[in-house]
Amino acid sequence: MMEKDPTVERFLFNLNTLGELGEEICSPKDFNSVIKSALYMVMGSFFASKGIIFKYDPLQKIFFPVVSKGIDNMAGITLRLSDEAIGAFVGYNKPLDLKGSSPMLSYFSPVRTEFAKFGARIVVFLIVGNELIGALSINDKFSGEGYTDYDFQLLSIMSQHLSYSLHNHSLLVKLMHKYTENKELYENLRQAYYNTIHSFAAAIDAKDSYTKDHSHRVSAYCSALAREMGWAEEDIEGIRVAGLLHDIGKLAVDKTIINKSSPLTKFELGELYSHPVVGYEILSKIKFPWESIPMMTRNHHEKVDGNGYPDKLKKSEIPIGARMMSLVDAFDAMTTNRPYRSRRSFAEAINELKNHCNEQFDTDIAHTFITAVRKEVLELNSPSIILHLHELLDITAIDKLLEHFPKT
Amino acid sequence: MINQHINYKEIDNIVVLHAENYINKMEGENLEKVCDAFLAKRTYKFVIDFSGTDIINSIGISILIGIIEKIKEKKGLVLFSGLKKVNHDIFDMVGLSKHIPLLKTEEEAVNRMKSGQ
Ligand SMILES: [Fe+2]
Repeated sequence: MMEKDPTVERFLFNLNTLGELGEEICSPKDFNSVIKSALYMVMGSFFASKGIIFKYDPLQKIFFPVVSKGIDNMAGITLRLSDEAIGAFVGYNKPLDLKGSSPMLSYFSPVRTEFAKFGARIVVFLIVGNELIGALSINDKFSGEGYTDYDFQLLSIMSQHLSYSLHNHSLLVKLMHKYTENKELYENLRQAYYNTIHSFAAAIDAKDSYTKDHSHRVSAYCSALAREMGWAEEDIEGIRVAGLLHDIGKLAVDKTIINKSSPLTKFELGELYSHPVVGYEILSKIKFPWESIPMMTRNHHEKVDGNGYPDKLKKSEIPIGARMMSLVDAFDAMTTNRPYRSRRSFAEAINELKNHCNEQFDTDIAHTFITAVRKEVLELNSPSIILHLHELLDITAIDKLLEHFPKT
Repeated sequence: MINQHINYKEIDNIVVLHAENYINKMEGENLEKVCDAFLAKRTYKFVIDFSGTDIINSIGISILIGIIEKIKEKKGLVLFSGLKKVNHDIFDMVGLSKHIPLLKTEEEAVNRMKSGQ
């Protein structure tokens, strides 16, 4: 089957919806309006005109509708599936294409005619842990296009949000305080959100044949650095995501410019230098749980002496996250192979960073970065920087690099 | 009853609705209610203007698709106008631009609707 990758527009549209969905579900609004907005977001994401969410009652073993759109006369409708079918769907835990050929469809046959009445094309069972919470169905896309693997992936993520919300609601109703359990579930949900952003970072890095995984490393380095600087866990997450997306503006720059090994013309340089602003424009339209992401992206090529771009900001005017990103971005560029030269050693790269402290880089940040590396070498538990360096680092050599550090 | 909070006007037998930014929130459903009310009064021609809409989100798309389906069900006509580039791109993505003519301005849309009478 031929499958088109989602376009950048579609991806951003969906990413934005995921942000809004997360926000909606965590909002203090009443359950019915939350679940209704969630259904609308799902339908809008797949351009569907008919949609319905059922809740499952495990005592009576029936599904009953909680909200629908584009479907008349839902009142009083209940649906029933055998225990065997329920067990099978809990194990399956993926969107089911009613026009597909999955063997799971045989379990679905008792309710197939009912679902046909709602024009259902895709059904997802909402599951939390091993518990069936409900079901969601939507019809064919308004655009007439088919559902792709990407759609299924996105629908799974959105359904997880919904399951969490429905589950949470039931817990509230039962006045149970399973806070820790829910926290764990939310952790899974967060992971799904990151997976989506990660796949986008891969698309950014794919533009440049020599920077495979660059965004992932920048992200890992930024979060390690932020942790060393004592940032709160929530802010560390923010810079992690910012690291993954910092070069998103490169999606708008011609691939031949990015991959050119000969010197760039004035026009080409202008194009390349536009990527932080383009990135800012893209990201500032997206609702992230972290407000600082667009500005970090915009200013990741500023230099502390004011000779960077696009805003020519000086040291403390540059957002701290952008100063950190600028340092690890350069560090990664030096410690990976490029078309015109092979990678430099850790010590060479650090000396280069030191030489440009107070011009390009923030001295304190550079110092903290080396300290973070030093800790990783000493402790070796959960390393996130040295893992990518592919060389053995020696603690006395690192201590030497920490000596004679330029003054701020 | 026609909703008072929604910004709309009638020109001859054409209803012009301004989607603004509330199309992106659940209150956007009021737009659909306005359409329902006019359809019930046998007014079948609609122009939806987006010049006051910054960027349309998934809720907005869902509400719009609902409106279009309703108008089509009654064999009515709907035209869109005043789309910003970003919304134009989103409508291309959804496939809306294949089904609904997109005009530059509200006036153009109204005139086209009139000339088609
Ligand atoms: Fe960059």
